Amino acid sequence: MSMHSLMFGWEYPPLHLGGLGIACQGLVRGLLGNGVKVTLILPHESETDDAEVRFPTYEFVQKLRVCSMLQPYNTFESFEANIRKVPKNKKDVYGNDLGEAISNYTEMSVKMTEDLNPDVVHCHDWMTYEAGRRSAAHHNVPMVAHIHATELDRTNNAPNEYIYQKERMGFDAADRIIAVSNYTKNVLVEHYGITPEKIDVVHNGSSDMPPSHELLELKRTQKKQHPLVLFLGRLVTQKGAVQFLEMASIVHQTKPEVNFVMAGDGHMFEELVDLSCKFGLQDSVIFAGKVGSMEAKQLYTEADCFVMPSISEPFGLVALEAISHGTPVILSRQSGAAEVVDDCFQVDFWDTAKMADCVLTILREEPLAHQLRSYAPRILNKLTWQHQASHVQSVYTDLIHCES
Amino acid sequence: MNPRICFYFQVHQPYRLRDLRITEIGHGDVDYFDGNKNEQIFRKVAEKCYLPANALMLEMLEQHPEFHISYSLSGVFLDQCKEYGKDVLESFQRLAATGKVEFLAETYYHSLASVVSLEEYCEQVTKHVRTIEELFGITPKVFRNTELIYNNEIAQIARLMGFKGIIAEGADVHLQGRNPNDPFRPSTFRLPAHREKIIRENRPLPKRARDIAVLLKNYKLSDDVAFRFSDKSWVGYPLDANTFTDWLSNSGGQSVNLFMDYETFGEHQWEDTGIFDFLHSLPAIWQERGIKAVTPSQVIADWNKEHAHEYDVHDTISWADMERDLSAWTGNHIQDAALQSIYALEDQVKMTGNTQLIEAWRRLLTSDHFYYMCTKYWSDGDVHKYFSPYESPYEAYRRYSHALADLRFRLSA
Repeated sequence: MSMHSLMFGWEYPPLHLGGLGIACQGLVRGLLGNGVKVTLILPHESETDDAEVRFPTYEFVQKLRVCSMLQPYNTFESFEANIRKVPKNKKDVYGNDLGEAISNYTEMSVKMTEDLNPDVVHCHDWMTYEAGRRSAAHHNVPMVAHIHATELDRTNNAPNEYIYQKERMGFDAADRIIAVSNYTKNVLVEHYGITPEKIDVVHNGSSDMPPSHELLELKRTQKKQHPLVLFLGRLVTQKGAVQFLEMASIVHQTKPEVNFVMAGDGHMFEELVDLSCKFGLQDSVIFAGKVGSMEAKQLYTEADCFVMPSISEPFGLVALEAISHGTPVILSRQSGAAEVVDDCFQVDFWDTAKMADCVLTILREEPLAHQLRSYAPRILNKLTWQHQASHVQSVYTDLIHCES
Repeated sequence: MNPRICFYFQVHQPYRLRDLRITEIGHGDVDYFDGNKNEQIFRKVAEKCYLPANALMLEMLEQHPEFHISYSLSGVFLDQCKEYGKDVLESFQRLAATGKVEFLAETYYHSLASVVSLEEYCEQVTKHVRTIEELFGITPKVFRNTELIYNNEIAQIARLMGFKGIIAEGADVHLQGRNPNDPFRPSTFRLPAHREKIIRENRPLPKRARDIAVLLKNYKLSDDVAFRFSDKSWVGYPLDANTFTDWLSNSGGQSVNLFMDYETFGEHQWEDTGIFDFLHSLPAIWQERGIKAVTPSQVIADWNKEHAHEYDVHDTISWADMERDLSAWTGNHIQDAALQSIYALEDQVKMTGNTQLIEAWRRLLTSDHFYYMCTKYWSDGDVHKYFSPYESPYEAYRRYSHALADLRFRLSA
């Protein structure tokens, strides 16, 4: 009989703000492909969104939706802003603050899955941990807490105490923790006091295809007047947006013809515009705002170099996306992606001078750029979701066998 | 009859590159090399290997009349001795003074010149031979190319340079079941006249040799010491000096050629593995059992060339990696670009007559720079990673390409 995983998710394409939704989808598809039955519980603003969610294996996933206002990158402040926009009568459902909303989500999602018969409960990031804990207790099955990003990553080590405690509760309650990188595993060990033995590392997979030979040839032969260096991510401290601009200003001094694109939105937008002017980059930096997947594809393809300068990045799926478009990448050493990508430059996020030097070297040395473009995609064949899901599956199997 | 034993040790240190930045290029007087790191590594290896191993060798040479050894000291290693280790140089000179140590010739800069530029190749070998004469008072008669890079042409060139012997890897595919312990002769053919002329004009020794013997590394028995000695999963572990001597005497032929990195003693195999004790106990056992340890020249002196088999190597071989070819230094885009770019500057660099510039260019020819750029097994964390001072092949290329860019700038200025 096939294994049944009851999964408490958070975001899911196309309704997603970051890597979590993509990772969740990849994992679910991978598990389904390996013959695991998955029931996925998702919170969403409105149930009409359901119609937008489509993919080939749709019918195999039982998706139950909980009516909720939760968004993955909520803070108490932004939640309050959202709640003001909500019609008065709906407020009762969400509660007046984030804490109440989560407790409502938990209540409802546990209740609506009471009659299922799962072998394991698997929950993703802090907002679902309480639901996972209660559900696992109800069904008397093992609980797996998956950690895609910690509060410490998001807040540059200034955590919201409430969220931090929720995370700790989840880690303590879980029978096993899956971290998306060794980097994140270390954070859990060092800052959450979790024993390393309790944590399995399963790197995120990729559904991206390697670049075509034609694209690589095109990139190899084209000569550009204005090379393009790309940043793609939320404009927040965690993503190293300031470091990107510092790097840009150093590159600019040597090679003023280089253009920089910062794609994404976030609360630092105005600050970053000011900073780029202060650095004299007003004619060199383009703020593209939040981009859809087609625009992102276009930018990845056009970029001569992709930089991920994150201050703390549990994984960094954007790195694999850039690689799949035949773009050389420079990765922050404070990231999970740097653990799996061999053919790249790796720098400490604070070493923006070295970051700039790597950019300039890639732009100057075509054989180097060509090798990075053509060798790096080998990782995409290794890190398939099918493959990564089988790691998750063996975590399940271990747990189920231990329990019985 | 017992075969004899021929020990040869490779001793080499490259000049590793500094964390160069684009902003430094073209500012004149840029030092490409990481003095601190090079000194640090040199001293570390000196304390762990060169000094204790040389002391042990000296003791063994003095105690056992039938014990001889040979070395190939690269020119850049000798340069670093002068900079960072006079004590190391002196300990080698004491070994030379016993009269029981042979020094082999090689390319001064431990370069790949043999497969790229004949003129540069000859000049480097000549410079090396003169340096060995100067430091040790001995003229090398046997040649050993960088990392045992070898083919039929390289053997002929060595003969035309005046050497009576050359060292090579005993590759199964070329041995075809024959015993590597017997000296071979290379396939004979004539080089084009213009190439012969280049050699004649840059010959390190007074006249060409009539014949040249090829001494082949017995890689199985060499690697038992160099790689497997401390490997607990190896069936031969722990390796006992008596057992090893049994293997040596049973392997037949004229001489068992044990060729390895000198760093095997104390650096690759740490002292606590018992490698020094193992080495120390060998000569006494050999003396007891009538086994002589000889130099390559002694092997060649007793060589019966009329009955020698031919070692026919068309494609270039080496002792590096599993492939034993040139793929440790060439083959990926960055290696090929770096190699091509640096040799493309040869004529221009030499035309300046600027000794400082020529020296910097030549230090960039050292094969290690290209070895660090190898991506063959990068993801599996293989020996290239272990031996690289840089964090990745791309970092190696970044530094190297900056040095190249600065060289080009200096040439155009």
